[in-house]
Amino acid sequence: MKAEQLGLGLTAQEIATVRKSLGREPNETEWSIIDAEWSEHSSYKSSRGLLKLFPTTGKRVVLGPGYDAGVVDVGDGYVVTLHIESHNHPSAVDPYGGASTGIGGVLRDILSVASRPIALVDILRFGLIDKSGHSRWLLKNVVRGIADYGNCVGVATVAGEIEFDDSFERNCLVDVACVGLGKKGDLILGEAKAPGDVLVLIGGSTGRDGIKGATFASKNLKEDAGSERSSVQVPDPFMKKLLLDSLLEIVANRGDIRGMKDLGGGGLSTALSEVASKGGTGVDVELKRVRLREDDMSPTEIMTSESQERMLLVLPSGPGSGKDVIPVLEKYGVPYSVIGKVTSSPRLVLRWDGKVVADLLASLVTDAPLIDWPYKKPATPRISPRPAVPADEPPLRDALLALLSSPNIASKRWVYQQYDHEVGLRTVVKPGQADAAVMRLPNGRFIAIKGDGNSRHSSLDPYEGAAGCVAEACRNVVAVGAEPIALVDHLQSGDPSDPEVYWAFRENLRGMADYCKAFGLPVVGGKVSFYNEDSATGRAIKPSPIALVVGLASKESGLRTMAFKRAGDAIVVVGETRPEMAGSELSARFPKSITVPSQSPHVDAQEDLKTCRAILQLIEKGLVDAVHDCSGGGLGVALAEMAISGSLGAKVDLALAPSSCSRSLETAFSESHGRFVVSGRDGAAIASSLRGAGVPHAVVGKVGGSSLSLSAGGPLVASVPVSSMRKKWEGAIPELMD
Amino acid sequence: MVISNKPGVREPEGETILHDLVAKSGFQQVESIRAGKYLRVKVVAPDPASAKRLVEKMCNELRIFNPAAHSCEVSIGRVPVQ
Amino acid sequence: MRVAVIRFPGSNCDLDMMAALRTIKGIEPVLVWHEDGGLGGSDYGAVILPGGFSFADRLRAGAIAANSPAMARVKRLAERGVPVLGVCNGFQILVESGLLPGALLRNSTLRFVCEWTHVRVENTRTPFTSGLREGQVLSMPIAHGEGRFFLQHAELARLEKEGLVAFRYCDASGRPTAGSNPTGTLHNIAGVCNAEGNVVGLMPHPERAAEALLSILGRPDGSLVLSSLMVRSEGRWGA
Repeated sequence: MKAEQLGLGLTAQEIATVRKSLGREPNETEWSIIDAEWSEHSSYKSSRGLLKLFPTTGKRVVLGPGYDAGVVDVGDGYVVTLHIESHNHPSAVDPYGGASTGIGGVLRDILSVASRPIALVDILRFGLIDKSGHSRWLLKNVVRGIADYGNCVGVATVAGEIEFDDSFERNCLVDVACVGLGKKGDLILGEAKAPGDVLVLIGGSTGRDGIKGATFASKNLKEDAGSERSSVQVPDPFMKKLLLDSLLEIVANRGDIRGMKDLGGGGLSTALSEVASKGGTGVDVELKRVRLREDDMSPTEIMTSESQERMLLVLPSGPGSGKDVIPVLEKYGVPYSVIGKVTSSPRLVLRWDGKVVADLLASLVTDAPLIDWPYKKPATPRISPRPAVPADEPPLRDALLALLSSPNIASKRWVYQQYDHEVGLRTVVKPGQADAAVMRLPNGRFIAIKGDGNSRHSSLDPYEGAAGCVAEACRNVVAVGAEPIALVDHLQSGDPSDPEVYWAFRENLRGMADYCKAFGLPVVGGKVSFYNEDSATGRAIKPSPIALVVGLASKESGLRTMAFKRAGDAIVVVGETRPEMAGSELSARFPKSITVPSQSPHVDAQEDLKTCRAILQLIEKGLVDAVHDCSGGGLGVALAEMAISGSLGAKVDLALAPSSCSRSLETAFSESHGRFVVSGRDGAAIASSLRGAGVPHAVVGKVGGSSLSLSAGGPLVASVPVSSMRKKWEGAIPELMD
Repeated sequence: MVISNKPGVREPEGETILHDLVAKSGFQQVESIRAGKYLRVKVVAPDPASAKRLVEKMCNELRIFNPAAHSCEVSIGRVPVQ
Repeated sequence: MRVAVIRFPGSNCDLDMMAALRTIKGIEPVLVWHEDGGLGGSDYGAVILPGGFSFADRLRAGAIAANSPAMARVKRLAERGVPVLGVCNGFQILVESGLLPGALLRNSTLRFVCEWTHVRVENTRTPFTSGLREGQVLSMPIAHGEGRFFLQHAELARLEKEGLVAFRYCDASGRPTAGSNPTGTLHNIAGVCNAEGNVVGLMPHPERAAEALLSILGRPDGSLVLSSLMVRSEGRWGA
């Protein structure tokens, strides 16, 4: 059958390349295998070349990008593994199924390197839930999907981030990340190294669900998205739990598994071709040995099915093969079948009842040619001109309360209360207590975990905005007392064939890469997701780079939360505030309050490095008891959140904060990077330490009373009771969702 | 078989569907909704009556429903599946 | 004392319970797979059914595990007076096995809820509360979607009269208010025991509150529940 009749996602150019390489016309099964693996989702053909810009090495990096998970050394023989996944298209169509299988997928990657998943992070983007019933429906069901799966499997969901913007109305983004814990000596890679080794497919059976899921993720959503529902995979967290328990038991008992790979996008096509390619070997597989859910599946369907909860094991051959593996699988009731063997010839050979139905060079399948899309910086300025005089400047009090009740800033407790965040006995700093979650490690150390993005900033200035996501995630990890040690990134954009979209993507990537280099933060993995666009309206999402950072803290006494701790404590602002109002929450809520073309926040990695080190030093010296970084809603919101968390008010003079803003509204709500608010008993000692570090700072007030009282170089300008702030901040999302 | 909460047991799921969806959408004539679980059991038996007895026995012995809170109605369906 | 912690397919708080028990002097926890025949004849001082999603809560939370051969063995041990504790899913399994009365229904909010609660100790004549005072307030977290205890009116009245409520949700000062009831559970019931007093079930997780570092108020109240096993007490349970 000719390629052109098969409805493949491959371009004419790619089809020609395949024909030339192979020297013949592939058959239907072979076309489908290549189609799955050459899809954007599986091959990264539009981005792989550029991803080389990321710094990927460091003294703690054990395994960088290109494997199922990044691996980072945390001391004493322990490693922490990281992976991030997205399930944007499936979740827009079936939010519950899409989100839960997203969790399933990221857990599988962490498990497939032989580490135990210990924490999940969800990073979500939806349309405006205060205006759109559809977005509320998506949020409700995505959260339920993540909760049902994560809770059932028993992995704590400890951190997250949600952003609401109109550009996500038709294309919600569902990113899920997972952190795992393992021993360096136990790591298993996804490679088949020794010819003769046996290939065993374990877990769920193979059915028609999710056929061609990878190609679905690699094109724009159709107008009639409801019909795409069959492209969504069905979750089975129970099978995942059995896989987890059995595999970890085998690993703990030093069972002999030579290679392990999870089946995700592209199903068997991807798994088999990648283990062969990575191992420099080939595979010979009898498809009739694959356990099927439906009797009449064709080889093509079997190879492209994305049925969930399946793993591929590579076991040694010979007598006694699998003797430490199979009995454990049987104990837990995990189904398995031997489907083939590893060969020395580097080919992907598939059989149906002995007869060869596909025979391709493994590297042809895995090495999709890179696409160098043209890119063009948009001509029109992204920032619309503003009046010289503010048309509508809200009073400080009103602005603060409006920001606190804005869904982007308001408490997300409605969400995280549905996630079991305590299972595993590792969650020391829990959701809501601080800027990042903190989990304890078996060697007495702690890891901090946080993910961040800001699509407004990333679309106004793709380079600075994306760098800003990394900066913010690092600040959040530092605020709890941890030193950032590794990052996984996720770049999300619209259609790469649009030169302006591709330009923004390149700038996002460059921004993140440059910041990571300057900050000394290795990138150990990541994902790229294109085609987040609605075909009907031609509307693309705002570029949404995400940074997921983990940090390491060495002792319990070095951990901090954000709540104001006691009346009388001095409050110190660290870092300079600049009039960078474009893309801020204030400008979204009060568009007429912003004067003159204001830029979106600029990033300075060297300065941030100095500031972060200074904060960690303050914590180390025991000088500060509460630490919070400034991000959405700037200083004003940071102070409010510290007050709400600690049930303690404060008296602050905004004019004392280091600021180049001319208006107090800007000092209060600008979202400049590189800033923290800290409090502690001895303001002078804090200031002295910061002076020594060469970082801008000022004592701006004191903790006390039951209101947040703000002045601006003169009399009181706003005084808001903590109870009123709490009511707005805690009540905003429940009021919309319940 | 249909497993549902006994009358007298609070039914938040049915209540929510009634108040927040059905009543709000203008179907004022609907008085109550009770949610439950539906199991379709295929049984090999000589006749419908003995099939029903078998399933009832299974429900009771295996506690397919919790007698403290649930009631269980078993009925014979003649319509072939799909 | 050897304490058996039973792992069913889908249990996910078993390792947590093992870790918490190891912090109690005198207790040697043993992880027992649900199909392990040794459970019945052995010399366990107590049996614990941990939390999780045994069999993914299919059909109903605890319903399938209740029919596991492990529960037949646990029933025989319970009849001999061996202390049995069911935590969260474990409580659901005990209820479904008929070892404890009632039913645990879906939370009235229809959502899973994970939060720290206060509970008041109502009955100190069980092996898991013998080290506590009546009225003592403990801080422990819950994490479940089906924790609403239900019993028909007359039976509920009898349960209360016979003092078979073991724990009740309350506020920080020990008052069982509506605001401190996270799931709509009747009479704020968080845990119950059998008439003999040796079988106890509760929805909150003591193993998650067994260390100050992990406890939101810095009080390891959960370990007081587990260490009660080591407290010598006069007379039989319940009476």
